[in-house]
Amino acid sequence: MMLLRLAWRNIWRNKRRSLIIITSIVVGVVAMSFVEGLSSGFLKQMFENQLGAYTSHLQIHHRGFNDNKIVQNFIAGSGPVTTALEQNPNVQHLSRRVIAFGILSSASNSAGVSIVGISPTDEANITTIDESVLEGRYLSGQKHEIVISKRLAETLGAGLGDRVVAMASTLDGKVGSEVFRIVGLYQSASSAFDRMHIYVPLQNAQEMLRVGERIAEVAVVARSIDSVGAIKADLMKRLDASYEVLSYQDLLPSLLMQMEMAGQLMWVFYLIIGLAMIFGIINTMLMSVFERIHEFGVLKAVGMKNGILVRMILLEAFLLGSVGALIGGGGGILINLQLSSSGINFAAFSEGLATYGAGAVIYPVISYPSIATGMAVILLICILAAMYPAYRAVRLEPINAIRYV
Amino acid sequence: MDIIRTENLEKIYQDNGVPVHALHAVSMNVQKGEFTVIAGPSGSGKTTLLNLIGALDVPTTGKVYFEGEDVGTKSKTQLASLRLHKMGFVFQAYNLIPVLSALENIEFTMMLLQISERERKERAFALMEELGIAELAGKRPNKMSGGQQQRVAVARAIVTNPSLVLADEPTANLDSATGGALLDLMEQMNREKNITFVFSSHDPQVIQRGRRLVLLRDGRIERESHAGS
Repeated sequence: MMLLRLAWRNIWRNKRRSLIIITSIVVGVVAMSFVEGLSSGFLKQMFENQLGAYTSHLQIHHRGFNDNKIVQNFIAGSGPVTTALEQNPNVQHLSRRVIAFGILSSASNSAGVSIVGISPTDEANITTIDESVLEGRYLSGQKHEIVISKRLAETLGAGLGDRVVAMASTLDGKVGSEVFRIVGLYQSASSAFDRMHIYVPLQNAQEMLRVGERIAEVAVVARSIDSVGAIKADLMKRLDASYEVLSYQDLLPSLLMQMEMAGQLMWVFYLIIGLAMIFGIINTMLMSVFERIHEFGVLKAVGMKNGILVRMILLEAFLLGSVGALIGGGGGILINLQLSSSGINFAAFSEGLATYGAGAVIYPVISYPSIATGMAVILLICILAAMYPAYRAVRLEPINAIRYV
Repeated sequence: MDIIRTENLEKIYQDNGVPVHALHAVSMNVQKGEFTVIAGPSGSGKTTLLNLIGALDVPTTGKVYFEGEDVGTKSKTQLASLRLHKMGFVFQAYNLIPVLSALENIEFTMMLLQISERERKERAFALMEELGIAELAGKRPNKMSGGQQQRVAVARAIVTNPSLVLADEPTANLDSATGGALLDLMEQMNREKNITFVFSSHDPQVIQRGRRLVLLRDGRIERESHAGS
């Protein structure tokens, strides 16, 4: 305790110098917390938008459909799938879909699209498409209604109430088409998604593609994301090999890799911040040691061993770092708390962010483990920075140090 | 019994590349309970001899024995341990730790000896009362006079019951009255606790109070005498 008390008082011998270094540590920790929170918030938004817009937690297809999305690879009988899902307590909602690549044409233009046939009620339970409708309304279930994105509507030169024609290859190899009336215009967080996906009633899509009761996939939302693995395992046991069961991890590998890489890159950021700070701390500790050469000589003369001297100097650095880390950690939490509810508006970059599937307003995420990691990194840096000054103190000969003026 | 014995001590050190012969063939001994003054003019080698006795420096040639053991055979860690367990130091410039109170400064060497906090405080405070400086317990050095600081330094030096206390010009920064009072205190400790004191000083007041005098001149012992002789 006495050594701790001595170390604490030593760091306040030069208040201004200590406050400067503490301030730099605070800024470093706050910067780490903020950048980590912002990065995590951005990635979380991308991930949730992806899941919420379309992917959901799991998809079940006929084996081979995910690699070749043609009507010939549709699920012939979805009964076993829906039965298995309805019997699993971890499944919250499911939605059957028909998916086909085709063309959507207006009076003035046409575009390649992914035609998604849905049951509006079921789909609204597993995606946010209904909430994304900005103009008009969502599908009611009546035939010949279509919901497209605002972006696609602009490309086609069409608007609410206009008629458009969707065309795609049928099961028997011919070209099927259907006329639809635009009832709603949606906008999601992803511009790439918006350009491609159009929504029509499930029965309309099945009739257009002449697939009967066949469907392309069953999309599933679990009660909790942690139970996705268990649902997948259960389905794979219960369904035969003609089905493929894909979790969001199978469907979004590049996004998940991006998220993992971002976590790794944070360590690079920590390293850069740490390197920037370490030299300031080394300088501070060296000055503190040089100012006390005479005192260290006296302490060694009365019998203080080098181990205790080193411990004292490292303690001083640790205490400096602790004060800075605690204040910085607290500041980081407060800033992220505030921003996690108000968000940061990156309107100037909204187009670019939409390409990644993130909105213009990013909500930083508070991760207490990450903040604690940042603080621990800073403490480690402080102790490392004190090693050289401690070494210089150890090298002092008492007789020379006592004479030092 | 000899606490200290030196044999043909020589000390040569370099001063800007110029060799300085600080001590020449110094052989002396100090017995348990003595109150010895190493006197001489400035540059006579007093402090050098004291530093060698206190195992703070190593001789160029010659030997120093502490309680019969050759100090030259010990490692730096062993020497630090020897100083901590067996010696106390009083410096000219007091050298109290400025961020510790008087009580804490006295406790400090006991802390190095890993004595419990409770015992440290009890012993330190008891000694302060014995030395008449109990009222300084909570004060920091910058709030004390020179005399008060030196009394605290003496308390720090003797609180661990060392065999030997080395005092290098302890009265140099004090007025004569304060210096005299300090010497009274150290004589008292010498008498009551049988602590051996070795001073280096050119202060006539200190020289007069020493019961044994070793007079150095130009690094050699010119004369040794006992009080009354």
